[in-house]
Amino acid sequence: MEVKLHDIGEGMTEAEINCFLVKPGDIVQADDPLLEVQTDKMTAEIPSPRAGIIREFKVEPGQTVPIGTTLLLLNEMDEEMNRNNQKQTSHSTKGERDPFAFAEKKSSSKRVLASPFTRKIARENGINIEKVVGSGPSGRITDEDIYQLISALQETAVAPTINSTVAPTNTSKNETIPFRGRRKQIAKKMVNSVYTIPHCTHFEEVDVTSLLQFCSELKKRNQNISITAFFIKALSICLKEYPIFNAILEEENEVIRVLHEHHIGIAIDAEDGLMVPVIQNVEKKSIQSIHAEVKQLTEKALENKLAIKDISGGTFTISNVGPLGGSFGATPIIQHPEVALVSFHKTKKMPVVTEDDQIVIRSIMNLSMSFDHRVADGATAVRFTNRFAALIQEPKMLLLEMI
Amino acid sequence: MVVGELAHERDLIIIGGGPGGYHAAIRSAQLGQSVTLIERERLGGVCLNKGCIPSKVFTMGATRLASHRKADQYGIESESIQFNLNKLQAHKEKTIHQLREGIASLCKANKVELISGAAFFLSEDRIGVATDDHYEVYRFKHAIIATGSSPTVPAGVEIDHKRILNIWSITTIETIPEELVIYGSDYIALEMAMAFKIFGSRVTLIIEKNDFSFDYAINRELKRVFKKNGIKIIKNAVISAVFADENSVTINLEKEELTCSHLFVSSGQKPNTENLGINRIGIQMTDSGFIEINKQCQTSISTIFAIGDVTEGPVLAAKAIRQGKAAAEAIAGISSEVDFSFLPTVAHTLPPIGSVGLTEQEACEQGYQISVGQFPLSSSGFAALTGERDGFIKVITDKESQLFLGMHMMGYGAVELITSGVFSLEVAAREEDWLFPAYPHPSINEGMLEAVEAIKKQAIHFPPVKDGKR
Repeated sequence: MEVKLHDIGEGMTEAEINCFLVKPGDIVQADDPLLEVQTDKMTAEIPSPRAGIIREFKVEPGQTVPIGTTLLLLNEMDEEMNRNNQKQTSHSTKGERDPFAFAEKKSSSKRVLASPFTRKIARENGINIEKVVGSGPSGRITDEDIYQLISALQETAVAPTINSTVAPTNTSKNETIPFRGRRKQIAKKMVNSVYTIPHCTHFEEVDVTSLLQFCSELKKRNQNISITAFFIKALSICLKEYPIFNAILEEENEVIRVLHEHHIGIAIDAEDGLMVPVIQNVEKKSIQSIHAEVKQLTEKALENKLAIKDISGGTFTISNVGPLGGSFGATPIIQHPEVALVSFHKTKKMPVVTEDDQIVIRSIMNLSMSFDHRVADGATAVRFTNRFAALIQEPKMLLLEMI
Repeated sequence: MVVGELAHERDLIIIGGGPGGYHAAIRSAQLGQSVTLIERERLGGVCLNKGCIPSKVFTMGATRLASHRKADQYGIESESIQFNLNKLQAHKEKTIHQLREGIASLCKANKVELISGAAFFLSEDRIGVATDDHYEVYRFKHAIIATGSSPTVPAGVEIDHKRILNIWSITTIETIPEELVIYGSDYIALEMAMAFKIFGSRVTLIIEKNDFSFDYAINRELKRVFKKNGIKIIKNAVISAVFADENSVTINLEKEELTCSHLFVSSGQKPNTENLGINRIGIQMTDSGFIEINKQCQTSISTIFAIGDVTEGPVLAAKAIRQGKAAAEAIAGISSEVDFSFLPTVAHTLPPIGSVGLTEQEACEQGYQISVGQFPLSSSGFAALTGERDGFIKVITDKESQLFLGMHMMGYGAVELITSGVFSLEVAAREEDWLFPAYPHPSINEGMLEAVEAIKKQAIHFPPVKDGKR
């Protein structure tokens, strides 16, 4: 029988295939989870409609498919009884075999339908080819399948739906809130991050007076640019100088992979929990286009219309909680496997003593920066935020960094 | 044991200079390691000195002799053909010597250090080597255990290497046995049965099971060929006792008693894992007594690898050679692995046998819906002109996907041709991949094509068969 994608939530029209929880040949019982799908709202497991044997997947991880799509083929138990019995006999005869006997050499492991060349690509990228579902004719695994899997793995490694600051949830007495979907996803990523990364957070004050003035001057010229866009650009400049914060630690390979593309995630406080859309290649974009993109992605996030590509591939994350008021600092949780995250807090007018001992009123914003202490040290982080503060304090300095 | 010992430092120490060991040594040297190869006896191991190579000199002798006897039809006339075992023995010695020298000079050219002695692990990174009268200690970064296997003897049998021989001594025999009884069903047993029959012995083969362990089509053809050659087969028989005197050997089976001039026993090998100190350093073993390894041939101690007959699987040099390279590459930091799903097996019988992939029995047991195509060489034009018309080529494919599952052949050239089957399986070929190309003509290769064509009942040189019979 064909197992199709059904509407599993309100207004769902399509879902992305996250991963398979079974493989062809597996025997499943009714209601056993078969695969995990993700909609713009949640992650869900698709259960098996009945007992049977998994024959073949009709979709691939990473693919977005509409409702009604056949996900996989399941042979019901009865059809399989016969084969199954035969299989058991074969196992029992195998057990008795003489380990020395000539011509009895067959391994019982699943046959890999891939050429030795393709197998090598998989091996070199740490992919267990026995788990790969081939897209080629007769289920053959192609080079392309492996390459796709490599990039899919890289994307999932950069967790899409978490953030440091968890929005206040509307709990009244004796109410239970379902702990699944996005909430559960957030929880999973948080736990993973905290258990993996030794976090270190430091705070910094940034004088944003000049930047605010500059923004209001721009506004007079009908150029409405948010202060966040400047922050993002300034961060990208700092990342260029301190690339260690735009990196991924690959412990098993014993390398820190320093990335030179700045894909900066922005925490958006959406109704069902935080979303982190990503602005790709900030290092190549103008402040103006960063501003436009932030605006567009925020709208999408609030309308729950973010596509998987909008939330994938982040290398650094910011969380601007300033507009919510209140907080003057936080110890945000890093989005594993990124190295660092910066939170911007409320801006307050403060009396500041200038170099010539005058007391002046300046707009001061606090920021918190969490970083992976395995990868970088405190001194580097302080230099990083110092540089950021300098660029923001005197926005004209940003001019010098124009390409 | 040794006080204040001085250890020599080495990148890689390989214990055992058989095919697995020397392939590993040369590949490691190619990859920049400083390699020391320790061999207790002679370079080339069992394969070269006592196994594959000597037995193949014998099977080749038999093949040549048989073809000379049929040479008359090609106009080659000779008064009488004599077979001189002494000359064959001399050729064997010369061949072995040449090949051994070849390995030694290759090792030298690759700067592989050769040490003659018995090695023993002292710890996870040190090895002691005892040569004639002195003892040295080596500290290594990596080690490969490639110590091979030794033949086992069934209970009640004592090998005297004169009248009762094992796989190491059968090819040292100095006279052609009058009446040779062979106990075993592995490839050496089959090869020796055929060779000695051709040399002039009366041959009886005793097998413990009901049949051979090939695809049943090969089992059937093999029995037919044996019968045709006058080789007697006793099935389902186990030796309970053997007595030898000056002139004869008496063999007690459960139900009968045989008397013969010589008994050759080929009943399996056991891994040489004793006296290596591997228990002491705690290398994990499998339940059946082999060294446990992963796909890179790495043991439970990550710097020590094991290859060949000391690891689980068929006792074949082909396995050891492939593992040796994989281990060498893994040690050099290259991602490498072995997979023996499609390890070919061959027997240099007359005609020879080549087999790879699933047999028909195995394919059915594993739940495949299969298609089978078989082409008898009696229908091959080239086989007809060679005068070698025994045998067939059989292919097994998956009915639905048309993927190749196995290829089994017995006949002229099978040992060389089976590589086509290996390739087909490794690259996941389907029927059309075989039907599309052109094939050298005239040749036995065409028989492989016709076997695939036979699946769809489209073999050209094979008349249509009636329903109900393949």
